[in-house]
Amino acid sequence: MTVVPAQQSGGGGGSSGLYDVLELVLDRGLVIDAFIRVSLVGIEILKIDIRVVIASVDTYLRFAEACNRLDLEAGPKRSPGLPDLVGSITESGAKGKSKGALSGAAETISDAFKQSREESQSESRPRARKAAASRRKEEQE
Amino acid sequence: MSTYVYGITSSSLPTLPDGTEGVGEPAMPVRVIKEGDLAAVVSDAPEGLRPKRRDLLAHQNVLAEAGAGGPVLPMRFGSVSTDDAAVAGVLAERADHFKERLDALAGKVEYNVKATHDEEAVLHRVMSENPEVRALTEANRSAGGGNYDDKLRLGEMVVAAVKNREVEDAAEIQRALEPAAASVSVGPESTGWLANLSFLVARDSAETFIEAVEEVRKAHPHLDLRVHGPLPPYSFVEPGPSQPAEASK
Repeated sequence: MTVVPAQQSGGGGGSSGLYDVLELVLDRGLVIDAFIRVSLVGIEILKIDIRVVIASVDTYLRFAEACNRLDLEAGPKRSPGLPDLVGSITESGAKGKSKGALSGAAETISDAFKQSREESQSESRPRARKAAASRRKEEQE
Repeated sequence: MSTYVYGITSSSLPTLPDGTEGVGEPAMPVRVIKEGDLAAVVSDAPEGLRPKRRDLLAHQNVLAEAGAGGPVLPMRFGSVSTDDAAVAGVLAERADHFKERLDALAGKVEYNVKATHDEEAVLHRVMSENPEVRALTEANRSAGGGNYDDKLRLGEMVVAAVKNREVEDAAEIQRALEPAAASVSVGPESTGWLANLSFLVARDSAETFIEAVEEVRKAHPHLDLRVHGPLPPYSFVEPGPSQPAEASK
């Protein structure tokens, strides 16, 4: 039963795709007060900074540097409309793939998120680094 | 033995494929509890269940399998009941509410869209929109990068401009995609994206929605859009616009 119409799952690469969907699994969905929920210690990592670009001296210096390096005459080099790698873990089509890719992974979810972030950053696409690279990982308990 | 609940669906839902694996290691077999017109997709709850990656994926996969046969109300990860009888009790007690939601969501799926800026492209955009930023950049450059204060001043200006773009682009994405969807739910703000929007989309108009996403990509090359779907309607299980969830205990 793996018929998936118009399967779409793309943009940021496999690992950030995982991160994107797990955020929904953890944070949305029906909550029924008659049921207990398992402890989600460590999940706060999802809710750290408010914006992708954080105002701080480090960020200012980094952006100033990025502007300095920017080729002012050239337009944006990125060709529009090209979807990136497909990282599909959605719907049942994912069953086989996610097992293959993830079997044996037994990290807690905060590890999983950390790892997926690191992976998605180290995948660093050939074009410019993401503004998201400025995200902080200040953990708060 | 306590019971882990994946989602709530209609009792007329086609049987799940044999061997559908649930949470836990080894994976708990998934079964269905029927009560009147409703059914709950459940498994035994493993001891010491925690939100591990494989468990989250199992939860997601079970819902995807169930959702292939008809509408499902996905539970948030980690919902456990004392036993099967208590699950049946909840189904009976809130039958009208669940049926209303299942009807409302019939034939619809969730697409989640997260957006980030392509840094180089957004800087170009900011330069072209702000002569002041461009002038300061050029002044700094001709001064070999500028001194510490010059850099801070430029950086601060650029960051403010990029942040404005984040807010404007988030609104623009929502405006552009909303017409192709039945409903929209704005997700919690967090690290890693400037927009986190979930759209409820009729299965048979999914292509229209995807085309709308492609249009946004073409029109805004400085945006990276990550689209995930079709997903179970996580963000639309409650009536009305769903609120960003508070931190769970």
